[in-house]
Amino acid sequence: MVDLLHTFVTGSFDLLLRVFLIVVPIMVALELFEGTRAFRVVVRAWARVVRHVGLDERSAAPTLIGFLFGLAYGGGVIVRDVRRHDLGRRQVFIMSVFLSMVHAIAEDSLVFIALGASIFWIVVYRIAWAAVVTLALTAVAGLLVRRLRGRG
Amino acid sequence: MDSLHDNGVPGGSVTGSAPGAPPGLGARFKRDLRIGLKAGLQTFWELARVMIPAYGATLILERLGVIAWLARAARPLMTLLGLPGDAAVPLVVGYVLNIYAAVGSMQALDLSSRQITVLAIAILIGHNLLVEGAVLHKAGMNGFAFGALRVVAGLAAAAVANLLMGLLW
Repeated sequence: MVDLLHTFVTGSFDLLLRVFLIVVPIMVALELFEGTRAFRVVVRAWARVVRHVGLDERSAAPTLIGFLFGLAYGGGVIVRDVRRHDLGRRQVFIMSVFLSMVHAIAEDSLVFIALGASIFWIVVYRIAWAAVVTLALTAVAGLLVRRLRGRG
Repeated sequence: MDSLHDNGVPGGSVTGSAPGAPPGLGARFKRDLRIGLKAGLQTFWELARVMIPAYGATLILERLGVIAWLARAARPLMTLLGLPGDAAVPLVVGYVLNIYAAVGSMQALDLSSRQITVLAIAILIGHNLLVEGAVLHKAGMNGFAFGALRVVAGLAAAAVANLLMGLLW
């Protein structure tokens, strides 16, 4: 019991430190660069990619952060932008499905590449899979919502 | 909860532009820095509030032997992925704990490179389900439903990859 508590305390500290060291700099950097041309160019280019899974330009930045750094950090930006821009449930749903399937593309993939996994399958195949699952689930969810509304 | 009046700050969004005379570069930098720090701390606090309880629950599940139990239950599924029954252990360790713990327990197994890739696909899609589920919950989604989705979609992705590799090899 004591060792469990010890693990919890040290583990929590570790987790909090990691989240703090990533979230705060990301948020500051976002705020500083969001208005710049370079940032807009990158986000717009990324928006053209994620448009194919149904995400609009306002959802591009949080999706990019999650795709690069991880679900927790992307989730943080999603929470912020939901408040700021009122993204809407449909956009949040699409982002959540897509990022559930693929996130922290560099860090997570590298861990398995180090073990000997094939880059093609865990990166290219996984992104393709994420796109297919996102499109399929969005279609199903859209159908359900329409049916529910139709009845109401 | 913190006040949310940073909604009204001009220039904070991608499309926003400051009304009237634009502030000096230094003043704008200071303002953006302050807003960024505030947003960062607020996000940190919101994430911490959901992640720490989820992490505690994870530790308790592990201590109660839930990982070992689930791994035994998942053994038969592994044949569908062309994996030995023992591969269920890193998979479930990944679901409950995280990727690094899963990799640690994978090292104890003797797997071919194809098996490593198939198992990696399932773990990369579904891992750290409690803590990341808590984050999705914070974003307004159902954390449990997304956990189930990641398990099912991850296993399906791994099974399809295994089939395709069998055809291509």
